[in-house]
Amino acid sequence: MPITITAPKAVRPSYAAADNASDDSDSDASSDNGAADLEGDIPMASSRRKEDKSYSIVTPGEVITDDPQWMRGHGTFVSPSTSAIVSSVAGTITRTNKLLSVRPLRARYTPEVGDLVVGRIVEVQAKRWRVDVGASQLASLPLSAINLPGGILRKRTETDELQIRTFFAEGDLLVAEVQQLFSDGGAVLHTRSLKYGKLRNGVFVAVSGMGGGSGVVRSRRQVWTMEAANGAGPLDIVLGVNGFVWISKHVETPEALIAETKSATTGITNLEESVSTTMYSSQNDRIGVETMREISRIRGVVTALVENGLRVDEDMLVRGYHEAVEMAMLGEGPDDIYLGGERGEQLAAALTGV
Amino acid sequence: MPLDTSAYSLALLRVDGRRWNELRRIHAQIRTQAAADGSSYLEMGHTKVMCVVTGPSEPGPRRGTAGAGAAGASKAVAEVAVSVVVAGFSSVDRKKRGRNDKRNLELQSTIANALAASLHTHLFPHSVIQVSLHVLSQDGSLLAALINAATLACVDAGIPMTDYVVACTAGSTSTYAAGDESADPLLDLNHQEEQELPGLTVATLGESDRVAVLVCESRVQVGRLEGMLAVGVDGCKQVREILDRVVRDKGKRMVLEGTVAKGEGLEDMDLD
Amino acid sequence: MPREAEPSLNERQFILQALQENLRLDGREFDQYRPLELTFGDQYGVADVTLGKTRVLAKASAEVTVPYVDRPLDGIFNIATELSPMASPAFEVGRPTETEVLLSRLLEKTVRRSGALDTESLCLVAGQKVWSVRVDVHVLSHDGNLIDAACLAVVAALRHFRKPDTSMESGILTVYTPAEREPVALSWLHSPFCVTWSYFGDEGEIALLDATWREEQVRVGSCTISLNRHGEICQIAKLGGTPVEAVTLLQCTNTALTKVKEFSSFLDKKLAEDIKRRDKGGLMAELSAENDR
Repeated sequence: MPITITAPKAVRPSYAAADNASDDSDSDASSDNGAADLEGDIPMASSRRKEDKSYSIVTPGEVITDDPQWMRGHGTFVSPSTSAIVSSVAGTITRTNKLLSVRPLRARYTPEVGDLVVGRIVEVQAKRWRVDVGASQLASLPLSAINLPGGILRKRTETDELQIRTFFAEGDLLVAEVQQLFSDGGAVLHTRSLKYGKLRNGVFVAVSGMGGGSGVVRSRRQVWTMEAANGAGPLDIVLGVNGFVWISKHVETPEALIAETKSATTGITNLEESVSTTMYSSQNDRIGVETMREISRIRGVVTALVENGLRVDEDMLVRGYHEAVEMAMLGEGPDDIYLGGERGEQLAAALTGV
Repeated sequence: MPLDTSAYSLALLRVDGRRWNELRRIHAQIRTQAAADGSSYLEMGHTKVMCVVTGPSEPGPRRGTAGAGAAGASKAVAEVAVSVVVAGFSSVDRKKRGRNDKRNLELQSTIANALAASLHTHLFPHSVIQVSLHVLSQDGSLLAALINAATLACVDAGIPMTDYVVACTAGSTSTYAAGDESADPLLDLNHQEEQELPGLTVATLGESDRVAVLVCESRVQVGRLEGMLAVGVDGCKQVREILDRVVRDKGKRMVLEGTVAKGEGLEDMDLD
Repeated sequence: MPREAEPSLNERQFILQALQENLRLDGREFDQYRPLELTFGDQYGVADVTLGKTRVLAKASAEVTVPYVDRPLDGIFNIATELSPMASPAFEVGRPTETEVLLSRLLEKTVRRSGALDTESLCLVAGQKVWSVRVDVHVLSHDGNLIDAACLAVVAALRHFRKPDTSMESGILTVYTPAEREPVALSWLHSPFCVTWSYFGDEGEIALLDATWREEQVRVGSCTISLNRHGEICQIAKLGGTPVEAVTLLQCTNTALTKVKEFSSFLDKKLAEDIKRRDKGGLMAELSAENDR
């Protein structure tokens, strides 16, 4: 063999090494005394034994139960010959009353009604946009489901249809909510709230897949504003449930602006118009260097979390950001926003409290 | 270089020191590529392949010609598209194989059809599951390694499937011309054996005896088929065990690290 | 690209249900072939196979060329397949479809790689001059089971083919025209035939031979087994599709062997008839010539 091909390295050698070490020690100590195992210290050899059901990873083709009292949910199917419930993905079992389903270790995003998602316009059609939200199908955003400029609730006209590209064009990013699902799993989005709409003044990060830890989890708050360090202005963070993340400079929400003006009772309509013109603008506002730096730092935190297999949610991100700021201050030399490799691991270690 | 089979009858050992029913070392990893939906790396002896799965996703309007895109999109089930790239340095004679090589196309269509029969493609209408395979090193049993790698990557991508599609090769100890009926079947051929001895590639659905792929490209007496098939099917069961362990280990590691919520055991479910 | 219309769900169900009741749409037994016909052309090496409505024409030809550098002692043997829009509007010229690629690979594995034709016998002057034998397969009409028909056509054409006689005298190679010397047959080692099984049902439990186009559209998997009448497997190809029990595959192989023996004797008979037909003409001519004297 003239060329040697080495296997790809594990993403995190430190973790892998630690695991292998524990496995080895276990197999040395003969896996027969399984009862003496400490929690979280399971030898590889016993992986197919019945006793370690606490981790109950099921794999495709594995019979979960042949008890007819259970109903099959996602990630399972009923074997036609034996009518047993069989897993169709690799993952962990969850149950809701009598419904058995398997949560895959990792899979693509499956839309659900009410999800807040970040998406990218892929195609513009006559009366709707097709949006990539990282699901198995493109989502669609009908022209009737967006806020049209010049009044919050206005009837859609033919002129709007003709200038559909002035609202969203191919490649634009937007934040929206899943309004309904088709029977084949395709999602319909809407942006009929001033919270939603085109995304400007920031950067996009995709966190691949959902489940499998390294994803965005559904939580109470997916959108929030946080104060940034080092003299930067406040920042807006949008964690799409589909794993797409948007980090941008904070802009006063149109709602707040309208509320302000309402109290002042001057020219609501004018203001609404001005709000709605900026709503679909493709121009960024002026962003200060400090703010840009902090936006990049948060982006670094998100990728570091993903690389180290950690959950991405508000709590983790805020803590991770503070940790990163401290790390940068402690480090010698100029302020470094780089959070890859060792620094990422350091950050993850600090967060998980190891 | 002709294969010296004379030693076999004396010591019952093959050129690389294996017995008749021994697999070569199989080493596999999943999730090797962070950016992909699913990925795997598989070694069967010196045959090394890598697989990346993208999807199921709907192809945008940019992709390819309108005809190909429309054909995929109009389907009620997901289309499985497989591409196999054989690296120029993968074998000893650095032969360039074109993308439209007929052998390559046959491999691709075989893998796609085998996967499509196990994957639950009806769950993903209008979408395409893109499986791209890269052959880094060849030492026999190429089709089997490709099928195994593709299965692992699909498991990693979380695509529902009936069961693993696992494959291995089987052969027979003497050439077809020698009409000796006492020829032993062999499991998992390497390149040398594949060149000299009759052999077949068999892929089964999980642990069952159901054969998804059966490819035989050499002359062999009908009578020997049964023995070879039996050994091959048995080998597939061993391969499934190995691949399953890879997936379980990965899953368990993720549970231990807390990246995945723990599953609920069957025992406590049976209580209520 | 015009696409072939797919059968509707109801059509599929009808065909499947009928099969489950042991009924084929054309009333055949499950392991029965459609009426098979084979005619040879006036020229040597032309074979026309008709299997029901499927019709395949194969033409063998030979020319003298330079051998490949890495195989100086071997002649060149090629099989070229062409699925033209004549057979079905879904086929386009110049863009091979998956069907075409798989067909040509199967023929190549069955006939070429199994060593049916002794390529060493095609060598004239080592490293300089060899015969290049080429078979062109044209599908004239496509109604399912192309593979079996095409394979039979190729084997028939090659066995019927006569290449010009040659001689080597003091370094000079002479190729004789048919008028000078009677052309000679190729050195043929064994005759492989393909038998294709189509599987139906959720678990592929129903197996049919010689599926029509409609049945091919509904099938869940297929397996092509190539054998010769000595009971040697030349190739097996079950390229994916719904998994089928291993035992079923073994049974299919055994049934295929009996079919191959039938094909083999059928082809022998047809070849003998053709020789007789040609010979009779020759003999009559000779006789009449004698009478004249």
